[in-house]
Formats: sequence, C-alpha cells, structure tokens
Amino acid sequence: MDDFWFEFVEVTQSIGDGVLFGSTYALIGIGFTLIFGAMGKLNVAYAAAAMAGAYSSLAIYILFDAPLVVIFIVSAICAAILGYLVYLTCFRFIPVHNHLAALMASVGGLFFIDEVIVHATRGSPLAFPSMFSEAYFEVGPYGIRGDLLFVFFIGLISTGVLLYVLFRTRLGLATRAVAQQDVAARLCGMSIHLTNSTTFAVAGLLGGIAGAMTAAAVGILSPVMILPLTIKGLIVTVIGGLGSIPGAIIAGLFVGGFENVVMYFRGIDERDMYVVALLFIFLVFRPNGLFGKTITRD
Amino acid sequence: MDYFLNLVNTIGIHTLLGLSAYILLLTGQLSLAQAGFFAVGAYTAAVLTVILGWGILPAIGLAMLITGLLAFLVGFPALRVRGLMLVVATLAFGEFVRMFFYNFRWRVTQEGVEVGPDGTMGFSEIRYFAEHGWTSWEVTSLIWVFVILVMAIIWWADQTRSGAVLRAVGEDELAAGTVGIDVTVVKMAAMTAGGVIAGLAGSLYAHQITMLDHHAFTVLLATFAIAYPILGGVSNVFGTLVAVIFIQGLLVEGLRFLGDWRMLLFGALIIVVMNVKPRGLFDSQTLRWIKSVLRLHLSRRIS
Repeated sequence: MDDFWFEFVEVTQSIGDGVLFGSTYALIGIGFTLIFGAMGKLNVAYAAAAMAGAYSSLAIYILFDAPLVVIFIVSAICAAILGYLVYLTCFRFIPVHNHLAALMASVGGLFFIDEVIVHATRGSPLAFPSMFSEAYFEVGPYGIRGDLLFVFFIGLISTGVLLYVLFRTRLGLATRAVAQQDVAARLCGMSIHLTNSTTFAVAGLLGGIAGAMTAAAVGILSPVMILPLTIKGLIVTVIGGLGSIPGAIIAGLFVGGFENVVMYFRGIDERDMYVVALLFIFLVFRPNGLFGKTITRD
Repeated sequence: MDYFLNLVNTIGIHTLLGLSAYILLLTGQLSLAQAGFFAVGAYTAAVLTVILGWGILPAIGLAMLITGLLAFLVGFPALRVRGLMLVVATLAFGEFVRMFFYNFRWRVTQEGVEVGPDGTMGFSEIRYFAEHGWTSWEVTSLIWVFVILVMAIIWWADQTRSGAVLRAVGEDELAAGTVGIDVTVVKMAAMTAGGVIAGLAGSLYAHQITMLDHHAFTVLLATFAIAYPILGGVSNVFGTLVAVIFIQGLLVEGLRFLGDWRMLLFGALIIVVMNVKPRGLFDSQTLRWIKSVLRLHLSRRIS
C-alpha cells in the first residue's frame, strides 16, 4: 500500500509539474492558432521567432546587465518585430489563396532563423537566468517549484491580456472580423494587411514571452529546443482544434502533463515519441481537435 | 573521381526523394513525412542485408513494400485532415520515425563482430557493396537505373488518365469529386506511391553511405524533399531533377567554400522563390517562355 501511495504521489507530482510547464506550450499553441484564425495559414517559423526573441533578450541581459524583469518584455518585443518581419517576407506578398507557397516560405523562414541562431551561438547551449528557482513550496506530500509556478503565472497573465485585447478592444474586433470574413471586413473599410500584420505582431509578443518562459523553466537556451517547441506547439494547436484559443490552452496544459507522465514511466528518450503518437490518436478519433469547428474547405 | 561519383549518387538519391514528394504534390498535398519513409526504407534494407544476409535487390524490394504499407497506414488518419493539418501530421510523423530510430537497438554478433542499429550511435558497417566487390561505377549505375526507371514510370503515368486524375484532385478537390473521382482513394494511392519511392531512395542511400544516423533524417531532409518539386515546379519530372542538381550540386557542393552559411542561403532561397514564383520556378508561365525562346531561336536558324 505504501508503495502504491508513493507511486501515486510521484505520478501526480510529475503531472502537476508538466501542467505548469505546459503553459509554455499553451502560449505557443495560442500563437499558431491566432495566426491560423486570422489568415487560415500556418506560420511554421513562429516558434523559431519566439526562441529568437528569447535569444535577443538574453543578449541584451548579458550586454547591458539589465534587470531580470526586463527579459520577458524585451523578448516579447523582439519576437513581435520578428513576427512582423516573418509576415512581410513569407506571407504579405504571396497570393492569398496559395496556402502551400506561404507555408513553404515559412518553412524557409524557420530554417533561416534556426541557422542564424546556430551561427550566432556556434550551436552551443547558453545558460538562461531562471527566476525564483530557489523558491519551493510544500503542499502536503507535494512540492511546487517556484520557477515553474512563476512561468505558469506569466502564462496566465499574458493569456488574460490577450483575451482582453481580442474581445474588448477595437483591434481585437478587427482581428476577429478579418478572421470571420475577410471580404466583408475589407468592404467595411478595414485594411487586411494592417490587421494581419498586427495579428502577427501580437502573436509574436506572446511567442516571445513563451520563448523566455521555456528558457527560464529549463534554465538553458539552445538551438535544439526550436524544433521540438515548433512541433509541440503545432500538436497543441491541432489537438485543441485549429483556430480555437480555449482549445489551445487546454491542449497545451494537457500535453505538458502527458509528456511528464510518459517521461516518468518511459524516460526522456522516448518522451517526444509518445507526444507525437498522441497527435495521431487525435487525428484518428477527433481530427478536428477538442474545440475545432468542422472544416468543410480549407 | 569518387568524389564526383558520390555527388552523382547523392543527386540520384535526392531525385528519388524529390519525386516521392512530387507525386503527392500533384494531388495538392504537402507531405513532410518523406524523410520518415526514407529513414524506414534505409533502416529496413540495411537490417535485411546486414543482419539477415539478404541480397541487395530483394532487400530493396521488401523495404519498398514495407514503406509503401507504412505510408498507406499513415495516410489513412493523416488524409482525414486536409492541406495544412496534413502538414502538421506528416511533420509529426517524420519526427516520430526519427525518434524511433534514436531509440532503436538491434545488435547481433556476426563472425565475432557486433553489427546492427545501435540507437543513438547510429547504424554503421552497412558493407554490402564492399563485401560483394561492387565498384563505385556499378553502385552509381544501380542507383541511376532506379532513378531513370522511376522517372520514366511517373512520366508515362502522367501521360495517361492517372496523371490527369492526380492533377484534377490537385487543382480542385471539390470539382474532381463532382466528376466522379474518389478523392480519398486518389490521395491514398499517391501517398502509398510516394512512400514506396521514398523507401527505394532510403534503401539505396543506406547502402551507398554505409552509415545511418538519426541526425540525417530531420525536418531538414523532409524540407529538401518537398523543396525540390516545389522549386522545380510540378509541370513535369525534369523540374525536380533540375532542382536537385541546382540545390545539391550548386548550393551544397559548389558553395562549399561558404561553409555552414549555405544552409542560411537555402532558407532564404525558399523564401525568395516563393515570393517571386509561388507556383515553382518552372511553372507553366516559365515553360511557355522557354518554349517561345527556343522556337524563336530555331526559326532564326532555319531562315
């Protein structure tokens, strides 16, 4: 009985840690979903831009000896600028109905950003300052890591701000209008390109925060983190349902918990394998994700 | 000379890889799983020749069969979703395969030496060609016989009804459906055929390179696979070949003095081409232009 109890605590503990860390996946998923919702296109370079934001904030932190709090803000701003640049280079001038070309261009963007980072850092991982890593709360048999809790709260706050912007401001109204019916939105005098580029910048802000959060929770920043983050972000987007923000949040937390359970039982080498397998289970049984609308034509 | 032959081999293998994505692209599907099928083909064929001691041709045959079956199975859930979702599914599948081989160990002792795939350490000592006394020329010939065969088959299929059906699905699924084409069957067939060709490319690759490593099968390879037909355009199979020669010959080998900066160029090249020519470098517009130039040239010479 004691063994079982011990095992139970260990498993639930790792689920809890995973859910807290899953907030980074949720944010990345929201970014993918926002862009998909607005344009109906996938921006594969998104997570790479997010990590590039984290890298630039780290550079500024080291160069100017900036206070820790600034890191998240700088990372968000840099990723927003990068997001806008990705929009300009990979989406702005490509015909609206050619989804594959835009997708392909953003894959090119992913490699470009990835290679620039590899070159700038010579491919070696860098230490990233984590916050509240010495804080540790004990709740009954469980322990909660301070840095994970901090990351979770940052994720919560940014999601709240995003939802406010999306549903309570004119900008959000415009974004949702363009997402719903771009022709009608244009007829009402909205600029599609302006709205789209703002969406990319807003998604970039979120991405930058998520990138810095990931790095802060892991403690290092490395180019090899880019691709897994991209893939997990996309998986979260699909599981949550393309274009659904609540779906992305729930799926993000779920994937975080799930991967930690797998890691507990199967080890870190096989972790990502099972996360991908989870995606296929969803594709077979719920191809539209948790909250996705049935897509008739894409 | 061996350096040159290696380059020719690489071009041949990558042409096959590009053609496997080409078939899918004809139906309008963008698959990032081709690197995964390539890896499965490579490991299967290598296991067959190294551990089970099969000959090269049966090994290639079975590897093609297995990857084709796998592509069919993957295509089943993946094709329930369309377009962009398929990209996510296939991207994830490619990573799944890579991580599977990252954990895949099957070591056996043969004549006092341990051989077989060794997880992270890769799968080395695939020495079929060396053991059976194949010269580099013979290896290159084998690869190019397959390349020419596959190109000829696809070229021929493109002239028949099946090519028209594939392209019809690619142009407009709804319209193709209304004239009685079973869109799902067509897409599954394309997926399976793509898997078979990628498996062929992989099994040739394994024996030519003699050393498999999961690092070789990343998303970069998958991107290469779709970049060839996209850059070359889907008007005909030669576009893919030209794109492979351009990227592997010029960008990767010719610009070797630039070091790793070449990969930066690769990303930038894709972005630029997609902006300037969203339907590929050799789209119908360019082909018409080339033809008109050629005709002008010829008529001048005649007169």
